[in-house]
Amino acid sequence: MTSVRSALDGLPGQVAPIAGAPEADATVAPASIEDVETILDTASEHHLRTLVWGGGTHQGYGGRLDPVVVLSTAGLDRIVDFQPEDLTVTVEAGVRVADLEKHLAEHGLTAALPEKPGEATVGGVVAAGISGWRRARYGPTRERLLEVILVTGDGRRVRGGGRVVKNVTGFDIPRLATGSFGSLGVIAQVCLKLWPLPSAQGTVTVADGDRALAAAYRPQAVVECDGSTKVFLGGTPEEVEGQAAAIGSPVTEGWDWPGELDGDVRWSLRVPPSKLRTAINEVRADYAYQAALGVGEVVISGPDGDVDALRKWAESVGGALVLIAGPPELYARIDPWGTPPAALSLQKRIVQRFDPVRILNPGRLPGGI
Amino acid sequence: MTLTAELRDLLGHDRVLTEPLERWVYGIDSGVVRGDAQLVAFPETTAEVASIVRLARHYRMPIVARGAGTGLAGGAIPTQPGLVVVLTKMNSVEIDLENATAWVGPGVINLDLSKQTDPLGYHFAPDPSSQSACTIGGNIANNSGGPHCLAEGSTVGHVLALEMVTADGDVLVLGGPAPDPLGLDLRGVVVGSEGTLGIITKALVRLTPNPPDVRTLLTAFSRVEDAAATVSGIIARGVVPAALEMMDQRMTEAVERFVSAGFPTDAAAVLLAEVVGLSAAVDAEAAIIEEVARENNATTLRVAADEAERAKLWLGRKSAFGAVAQAAPDYYLHDTVVPRTKLVETMTRVYEIADRHGIMMLNVFHAGDGNLHPLMAFDSAEEGMLARVKAAARELVEVCVEVGGSLSGEHGIGIEKRELMKLVFNEADLDAQARVRESFDPDAVFNPDKVLPAGSRCFDLGRPPLEGMWV
Ligand SMILES: Cc1cc2nc3c(=O)[nH]c(=O)nc-3n(C[C@H](O)[C@H](O)[C@H](O)COP(=O)(O)OP(=O)(O)OC[C@H]3O[C@@H](n4cnc5c(N)ncnc54)[C@H](O)[C@@H]3O)c2cc1C
Repeated sequence: MTSVRSALDGLPGQVAPIAGAPEADATVAPASIEDVETILDTASEHHLRTLVWGGGTHQGYGGRLDPVVVLSTAGLDRIVDFQPEDLTVTVEAGVRVADLEKHLAEHGLTAALPEKPGEATVGGVVAAGISGWRRARYGPTRERLLEVILVTGDGRRVRGGGRVVKNVTGFDIPRLATGSFGSLGVIAQVCLKLWPLPSAQGTVTVADGDRALAAAYRPQAVVECDGSTKVFLGGTPEEVEGQAAAIGSPVTEGWDWPGELDGDVRWSLRVPPSKLRTAINEVRADYAYQAALGVGEVVISGPDGDVDALRKWAESVGGALVLIAGPPELYARIDPWGTPPAALSLQKRIVQRFDPVRILNPGRLPGGI
Repeated sequence: MTLTAELRDLLGHDRVLTEPLERWVYGIDSGVVRGDAQLVAFPETTAEVASIVRLARHYRMPIVARGAGTGLAGGAIPTQPGLVVVLTKMNSVEIDLENATAWVGPGVINLDLSKQTDPLGYHFAPDPSSQSACTIGGNIANNSGGPHCLAEGSTVGHVLALEMVTADGDVLVLGGPAPDPLGLDLRGVVVGSEGTLGIITKALVRLTPNPPDVRTLLTAFSRVEDAAATVSGIIARGVVPAALEMMDQRMTEAVERFVSAGFPTDAAAVLLAEVVGLSAAVDAEAAIIEEVARENNATTLRVAADEAERAKLWLGRKSAFGAVAQAAPDYYLHDTVVPRTKLVETMTRVYEIADRHGIMMLNVFHAGDGNLHPLMAFDSAEEGMLARVKAAARELVEVCVEVGGSLSGEHGIGIEKRELMKLVFNEADLDAQARVRESFDPDAVFNPDKVLPAGSRCFDLGRPPLEGMWV
C-alpha cells in the first residue's frame, strides 16, 4: 500500500486550491471521466474524504465537510451530444448552466434550469436537485434528467436511463442521482430533456398572485418578492396576450427574473402549495423573501436568529425549513436540514452500496449521511 | 399451520383464493408468459398488507403485487410458486382540492379517478389506453404513459408521495406534499420499479387542471415520412402538443372496421394532434399544426368540430388494440422507444423484419416522444409461428437499440425483456441497479426474477464497506 501522500501526489488533474472551497490536501480537476474513476478508486483505497465542487453556488446545503481532496468538475466541460430535433442534450457535469442555456437559446430551446445561475454547473444543479422558477410550468429538474453517468464512491462508472425522452428501462438511477448531493457518486455526465423556448415572453405585475395563477392557465412562473408579484408568461404571441387578458393586466415584453436574495443567512421554506400564503405570513417582517406560487417554496433571508418555531410549523404541515447559506457557527448550532426523512436507514443502505467506504461528501445529506 | 390457514385467519375465507381455476386466472396478466400463482390474497388495509408480507416471509413464499393485471410484460405473475397480492379492494380516494392532489388507494382504476375529479375541474394526466381497467398502483409500478404524456410526462411526474410496505413488513412513506422532500428521492426510484421494491398501499398524486379549451386535429398523409416530418416540424415551430399520435394504414383499417372513428383508410399514416389551453392559444397552435401538415403534403386536415367528434377520434385511437384483438386470433404488442428523428428509419426496418418472418405487423404509437408500439397479429395454431414471432420481436428491439433507443417507453421490462437489459446496460450498470434493489429487498421476496437479468449483482465489483459502517 502506497502512502497517502504519494497517493495524493499521483492523482491526475492537480490544480491550485479553489477560492471559496474548504482547505484540502489536494485539489484536482479531472479532464475526463476516466480520470474521475482513477481519482475515486485511489480515494476509496486510502479513505480520502472527497468534496465534489461544481460552481460552488450550492455548497451551502447540508452538513459542513472537512475534505482531504476537493474534486472540481471544471475540466468536464464538453457538450457531448446535442439533438435539437429530439429535444435532448448530453453534457458533462462541469458545463456552466448559463453557457448551456445560451447555446440552447440560439436554437430556440431551453433546459428550464435556474434562470439566474451565476457560476452554477449543470452537474451541481442536478446533484443539489435545484430547479428554476419555471418548474411551475415544466416541473422540477428531476423530471427532465433522462440519463446520468455516475462515478461511484469506489470508482466504478455507472450509466442509468437513456437518451430518449420517455423510458422505463430498469431502475431509475437518474432520479436517484438528482438531489443526491454527491453522496452516491460524482455526477460526470447527464442527458436532459429540453423544451422549446416560447416565441413570445411577457411579464405582468399583479396584486393577487393566487388569482393570476389560476386565471393565466399555466404561466411559466408566478413569483412574489417582498409584497410585489410578477407573473411570467410564455408561448405563442396569441397565448401570451390571451393569458394577460385572462389576468386582466397589461403585459410588458420579456422576462426579468429575480436574482438570488442578498444576505449571508438564507433558508428554503418548503410547504404544500396551499400553505404558501400562511408561510409568507409566518416569516418575520425583517426577513426578505421570494415565493414561488403554485410550487410551495419561499426562500428567505434575514438576521441569524431563532427559526425553531418556523421550522416546527413547516414540518407540521409536511414541509421543511432548510438552511442554504450561513456562517459556520450557524451550521454548528443548528441541523441545516431539520428532522431527517422517515426512511433514513434505507437511505443509508443505498448510499453504502454506492460509496462503501463513504468518502464522497460524507455528512452532507439529511441525518448526517 | 399453513400459509393458507393463517391468511384465512387474517382475511377471512373469501379473500384468499386457492382453487385451481382461480389460480389459473391469476397466473397470467395481459402478457404472454404464464406463472404459478399458489395463493391469491385480497387485502383491504395497509395493516393487512403488512401482515401478509410477514406471513409470506415466514413461509418463504415469494410475493407478487397485482393491480388489474393489464400489464404486458409479465410483471404481475409469479415466476416461482408464489403468493399474488391483489390490491383492487384498496380503492379509497381523498381529494385535497386546495393543493390539487389526492391520496388514493393502489386499487383505484385510472379512469375512475379522473371521473371523480372531473366535476371539480381536474383529471389525472397519465392516460394509458387501458385506463378504463388498469389501476393507479399498476400505473405507478410501471411508470405508465399514455397519449397525453407527451406534454405532461409519465406517471412519475404525477406522484408526490407513496406509502409502501417493505420486505420487513414495515410501512414507509416516501416523498411528501411539499416540493423537494429531504434526502434521496426514493419515491422516484419506487415509481417504475415494477413491484420489486415493496407493495404500494397508498399514493399522493397530483391532479391536473382541466384545460379551458382544446383543439383536436386529424391529419393524414400518403407517406409515413411526411407524417414523421410533420411531427418534427410542429415541435421545431415551438409547439409541444398535448398529444401527437400516429397510426399506420393497416391499423387505421382495423380501427375503422371496429369502431368507425372517421379515419381515412387510404392514407399511409394518420396523425392525431391535440393542443390544450386558453382559446386564443389553442387556435394559434392549431393554425401552426395545420400549416406544418400542409407543408408536408397532408391529404386530410380536419379540426374536430365538437366534443362528440373529438371523443370519436380518441375512441378510435384508444380502441386500436381491441380492434386487432378482434381481427386476429393472437397478437403480440411491443413497446420500444427511439429518438424521434429515427422514427422513419426504425419503422422501415421494423416492417422489413416482419415481412422477412412472414408476420402481419401494425403500428400505432406515441409519435411525439418516439414511443413505438409495433403489433404483430398472428395465429399461434400455425406451425412454427410462435418461434417466428419471438425471433422478429427480438430483432425489432435490437434495431431500436441500434438507432439509440431503449427497450421500453411505458410497458416496462417485467419478465419479457429481462434478458434484453444486457443490450442497453453493461455489467457495472446492472450491478448498480441490483444494488438499489438489494437495499430495499435483500432477499428478493418481492417479484423475484423481474426487471434485472439473473446474476446482475456482481459481488466482485467495488470495495468492501468500512468496518463499523452503518448497514
Ligand atoms: C389494451 C391495453 C392497452 C394498454 N395501453 C397502455 C398505454 O397506453 N400505456 C401504458 O403505459 N401501458 C399500457 N398498457 C399496459 C398496462 O395497462 C399498464 O402497464 C398498467 O399501468 C398496468 O396496470 P395494472 O393495474 O393492470 O397492473 P398489473 O398488470 O396488475 O401490474 C403491473 C405491475 O405493477 C406491479 N404492481 C401492481 N400493483 C402494485 C402495487 N400496489 N404495489 C407494487 N407493485 C404493484 C405488478 O407487480 C406488476 O409488476 C396497456 C395494456 C393493455 C392490455
